[in-house]
This record gives sequence, C-alpha cells and structure tokens, in this order.
Amino acid sequence: MSSHREAPEISKDPVADSTDLYAFTSYGNPANVTIIANYVPLQAPDGGPNFYEFGDDVLYEIKIDNNGDGQADVTYQFTFATQVTNPNTFLYNTGPILSLTDQNWNRRQTFTVVRVDDKGKQTLGTNLACPPCNIGPLSTPNYESLVTSAIHDLPNGGSVFAGQRAEGFYVDLGAIFDLGILRPFQQLHTTFGLQNTGLGAMAAGVNSTKGVNVHSIAIEVPKTDVSKGGAAPTDASSPASVIGVWTTASRQKARVLKAGGTDVASGPYVQVSRLGNPLVNEVVVPMAKKDYWNSQEPANDKQFTPAVLNPELAQLLPVLYPGVFPNLEAYNKGTPKRDDLVAIFHTGLPAGVVAGFQNSMGTVQADMLRLNLAVPVTKQGASNLGLIGKDPAGFPNGRRVFDDVTTIELRALAGATLPLVDPSFTPDAAAGQITPGLTTGPTDTTAMGTENYLLGFPYLGTPYSGFAVPAA
Amino acid sequence: MKPIERRAFLTRGSMAVAAAGVVTAVPGLASGLVAVEQDAPEAESLAAEAAAAGETLTMDEPIVAHVRDLATGEIGLFSGTREIVFRDPSLAARLFRATR
Repeated sequence: MSSHREAPEISKDPVADSTDLYAFTSYGNPANVTIIANYVPLQAPDGGPNFYEFGDDVLYEIKIDNNGDGQADVTYQFTFATQVTNPNTFLYNTGPILSLTDQNWNRRQTFTVVRVDDKGKQTLGTNLACPPCNIGPLSTPNYESLVTSAIHDLPNGGSVFAGQRAEGFYVDLGAIFDLGILRPFQQLHTTFGLQNTGLGAMAAGVNSTKGVNVHSIAIEVPKTDVSKGGAAPTDASSPASVIGVWTTASRQKARVLKAGGTDVASGPYVQVSRLGNPLVNEVVVPMAKKDYWNSQEPANDKQFTPAVLNPELAQLLPVLYPGVFPNLEAYNKGTPKRDDLVAIFHTGLPAGVVAGFQNSMGTVQADMLRLNLAVPVTKQGASNLGLIGKDPAGFPNGRRVFDDVTTIELRALAGATLPLVDPSFTPDAAAGQITPGLTTGPTDTTAMGTENYLLGFPYLGTPYSGFAVPAA
Repeated sequence: MKPIERRAFLTRGSMAVAAAGVVTAVPGLASGLVAVEQDAPEAESLAAEAAAAGETLTMDEPIVAHVRDLATGEIGLFSGTREIVFRDPSLAARLFRATR
C-alpha cells in the first residue's frame, strides 16, 4: 500500500503507522497549503466496541524543509489525550452523539498542536476536539455536523482537524501482492508456469481500500508560514518556492508495563514511522532496511540511493510480464542508473527536465514530498496522473488526494520517465499503459466512483459508518 | 549544553535513583546521548546532603534505568522526555548482581 503496514515492525503498531501523506495548494485558497498525514490503517468501520483512535503515547509530526537540506525548518507537532466520560460502561457511546460535548459519547480524544521553528515553539491550539468515529445512524446520526465542529481555526490563519476519514488511497492489494498481478494485464503474466490459475482475460482492478477508514491529521496554513523566509511564493521557477514535506510518528524510548493493565513511558521520543513519497519504503526499500528507513531523517537518505537507482520492481516487471517490456529488460541487463527516480523521490525535478516545471531545492538526496507552492491549482482538467499527465499541480509535485500514485509510480518504474534523464532510452509501449485499473482514465478523480473526496478541507471523504459498511 | 544543577536534579529523583550516582547530568538530551562519567557517591551521602539542605526527595515521574554495558558501567536513565547517560561500573555491577 502507499505506506500502510509497509515495514515489519510498524505493521505491529497501527496507531503509529503512517499510511499516506498529501500536500497541495488549497483548492479554494491559493494562499494556503494543505497537508494531510494519515495514520491507523485499514480500519473496518464496524470495529467496535473500542473504535479507532490516535495514540496518546505517540508524538505525531508534520515536518517541512524549505531550504533543501533535508532537515525540518518548520514542524507541526500533534499530541492526543483520551477522556472517558463513564468508566462503568463498556459502550463507546450510551446514546446518540449529537455534539462534540455530548455526554452520551463515552470515549473522546482532544489534541494539541504546536508549531516549532528556529525561533522556538508556539502552541497553536490545545484541548481541540476530535470527532467520534462514524458508528451508524443511531450513534452518529449527523456525522458531518460533528466533523464541521471538529474543524478548528488556527491563530495564524488556516484550519486543523484530527479524526477519522474515509481512506483516500486506492489500490488493488489483492492483485499486486499476489506476485505482481495487474488485473488489466493479467493474461500477460508469466504465472510461473502454474495452470488453472483463473488469470484469464484482462479484468478490471479491485479497489481493496474501498470501504475502510483511516485517521487523518489535516492542517491548512498560510504558505508564508512554511515557505523559505516566510516569503509569498510566486515564482514557480525559484527553488525558494519549493518545500519538502514528511510526517513522522515517535514513541518514548522506554515503556514499562505495570501490573493492573497500565503502563508508563519515559525517555526521549524515538522515531518509529516516516513517510514522504508514497510507496518508497513499501516497494523500493528492501525488507531488511525498512524498519531502519523509518528511523532515519530525510537528510540521511543518500544511503538508500542504490535501491532507487536500480529498483527491484523495475527488474521484476520484464520477468513477470515476459515480452511486454523488452526495452526495459535490455536496459536492466546493463548497469541501471535510474536518475529519473532519484529526481522524483530524492531531489525533486530540477529546471530543464520537464519544460516549465521544477520542484527542486538542490542536490541533497532526501525523501520528501516536494511541492512547488507557486504552481497554481489545476481547476479544469486535472489529471490523476499528475505531472506525467501534464498536470503540474499533482504528484510528484506534492500530492493531491485523488492522484493515482500507484499508476504514476508503476509507469515511472517501468521506464516512462527514464528518457527525462536518458534520451537514448525508448520506453516500452506498455510503460505508458500499465495501471492497476482503478480509474476510467486520467480525468477520473473518483476512482470509478469508489472515492468520495471533498472539494474543501479536510478533503478526504466522510468515513464509512460501521452500520452501513460492515466488515466482509 | 549546560550542566544541570545537581541539587535540582536530585529534587526530581527518589532516594533509589540518587543511588544511581547521577551527579553532573546533562539536560536537553532529547535528540542525543551524552555520556557523563563522574564520581558516583553512595546513596547515603547524597541523601545526607539533601537532608542537610532541607530538601525532600520526591519522584513525580517514573525513572527507568537501562544498563547498557556491564563492562563500562554505562547506564541510561530515562526521565520525562530526557535520557541521561552516565558510567558507574560499580552500580552496574550491583544492579547485575541483583538480577542473579
């Protein structure tokens, strides 16, 4: 998945597991930038009686580099506290939850937001209410109104929200993790010589994450709060208009389980989860280094460059789909040097690679979601293929909620972007067609109607209710 | 980094922790470790000092000790969001023996 359960250790710690990160110019306010960091993956909407929540013992952070050194210049910290209204019931709620102060709501969370920069810390909000999970028509009958109440204004302008949303990342997990099946091309799969696999004619993709929820930390702030020197970014050709974004989750170093079902944590916070670009730790970093990758700072990412220059998945595609990627296969037999992928994931695209576009702050290799803040929102004809779909407002220029990052990265890995740095390479025809098959085409921003994104903050759709979408 | 006032540190610790011999601990270690190898006075003497100063040693947050290396006596102390590292081979050996 994008980054859901992407590494062995963090897959056992869902509340600290970052799943997706989005960063884009706010649709309705081009002076603002919206950043969304998702955690707690693959929530079955009916997963009660203890519904999903953030970890009170986790430090969640959104970090922003605005000078290209791979280190945070601005950090937003989020910490949570859980309150129990009535400890003598097992119920999440003892009646309909009609407001964020409703006494029927038995287990609620609040959060604190702190902004950190070189001048120090500024508390932007404390005791901010999260909404409840979406339980069903009796427990949360006016769910959207609860969400509206849980969108909090920030003192510097902008908004913040933390709580459950519908999963926005769409992917065909069942196929891709069954030895790289892409249903629209499954008839071309090698099948390892197995017979009667059921992989016959081409088929449509299946959105595995349709109907599951996630917990979002969404923040919208003025661009001048995060840009280099606090300047308003207006020149898309300037590296000063670019920011690099990543999210981390950290836990205190020592935890002691006490008798009686309680525990104490102590010591400095240690990073256990990290996410910048989607799918990098998932499918580029090898198994033995995934947990280590999660512990590292972007500034140290040059150590992972070998896996980017010669990614395993690019090697596998011609093997899994014999004869479909002959040019890639030939390229792989040489000494692969995928500087196109290094640019996408580690440095941003410098000026001159894609006409009229850049999102690089320099040459420091650091996995960050780089966003050129001066690129305007694409209001008409937005492409879910982002930059490779000739839409510079989308991934890998930041990431919007509807961007089809799986297709974009599959095509890049298949060689579609290699000519940007190696004009002698001719991509295979399939490199421009490969897809898990979850959209009707580049202008489909709903993943065939399986996603219900919002046009405004917090952008991800209303979470599925447990009553309406029971676990299969 | 400036050294923490010993007395100030002790007021945050218990008698048992004072026995750990943290004498010139260093604050602000959230992002790193600093090994501070200093004298390791016995708990009794530290307690006596505190008593003489009219201080009450109370522990208002948990303290966790991690014996990292028995040979060098390197011990990590977790308190709040800090980690303080010091070396006390004698204390490390005593803690080890207590586990046998």
